[in-house]
Amino acid sequence: MLSLYRPGHGLLHRLPTGRKALLLMLVVLGLSFLPSTYWAAGLAWVVAVLGYLLGGLGLSELWRQLIAVRWLIGITLLAQLIFMPLEAAAANSSRVVAAILLAGLLVLTTRLTDLLAAVERGLAPLARLGIDPERMALLLAVTITTVPVLARLGAGVREAQRARGARGGLATFVVPFLVVSLKHADELGEALSARGVQ
Amino acid sequence: MKPRRLEATDLARIAVFTAIVAVLGLPGGLSVFGSVPITAQTLGVMLAGAVLGPWRGALSMVVLLILVAIGLPLLSGGRGGLGVFVGPSAGYLLGWVVGAFVIGLIVHGGPRLTRWRTILGVLVGGIVVIYAFGIPIQSLVTRLPLGPTALQSLVFLPGDLLKAAIAAAITMTLARAYPRAFRRQEAGSQIPVTASAQVTSDGERPAESIR
Repeated sequence: MLSLYRPGHGLLHRLPTGRKALLLMLVVLGLSFLPSTYWAAGLAWVVAVLGYLLGGLGLSELWRQLIAVRWLIGITLLAQLIFMPLEAAAANSSRVVAAILLAGLLVLTTRLTDLLAAVERGLAPLARLGIDPERMALLLAVTITTVPVLARLGAGVREAQRARGARGGLATFVVPFLVVSLKHADELGEALSARGVQ
Repeated sequence: MKPRRLEATDLARIAVFTAIVAVLGLPGGLSVFGSVPITAQTLGVMLAGAVLGPWRGALSMVVLLILVAIGLPLLSGGRGGLGVFVGPSAGYLLGWVVGAFVIGLIVHGGPRLTRWRTILGVLVGGIVVIYAFGIPIQSLVTRLPLGPTALQSLVFLPGDLLKAAIAAAITMTLARAYPRAFRRQEAGSQIPVTASAQVTSDGERPAESIR
């Protein structure tokens, strides 16, 4: 399964997962209190750049992340420029982008297995609400393996339709895709039962 | 109303619907009306609520958001990670959970699956609820006042209305093509899809019972 993790040995790579998540969320929360002024915009960018440098990811990774959210930046900036004064528009857009970049550092510097383990630890208190944390962990694990299976099934449906010369509308794809997916769900349920999942 | 213990069948369906929403966000030329590209993920959210019902539908969205948060690129355009939860679209994602729940409540709220209730469900849960969470949080994050933010989000309304129409049509078609999808386990909090449930031994039911 494709993950967004970038291997490395930076400061952030070495921090324990829980503490790293907390630290990044505190920084993002701090940013959200910045006023809508030019110096705040500059500060937001400085923090974002520092985060990537200290994280050992470098500015090339920061640039890649910026490109990934270019549409979001464009739409946000456009709306801000239409409705707000220039200073507020620049500050608000900078703050939003810096927050996204910094929060993104968590998955860039933490292995999926470590994050999954942290989530499972976080789920433990759910037991008091009558929710079985182990069942939730199983659900997450099963879902991770199901995504590529359904991507393959979906590609198969599309290929079969193309081979028959069918036009690729949304509804004409989704109905057969849902049927093969739900059949897969039934088989998956039986397989789980057979392995002792009640 | 409390969710029952998650059985293997439910677990598999929830996992599969989470994956369906992810696959609907994959690039691959899903387009409506020729060249206008729209992300079909909200279609998946609507279908999850309509097919799985309130609790399972909402849970499948929670699972999706957890997996996104830990970095699986499952949102359209391969987005993932904690960043999406601090960005302008955070409220819409939260709205998916509540939206799927409300859709499930409305669509499964009667003794049988009807066309009008399905349409009402996807409109209220799939559009009203999602926008009701999305717009205020977007306004909060970007500090753009509520009015202009709502105006900005109107751009997506035609596409969402279209997806609601498609979701309702697909739900009704699916009920005929694969009625097992709507099968409810006995002794649950869920209401069976048909009141006059002439459910045969393997959970199939005749197509005539669908209005």
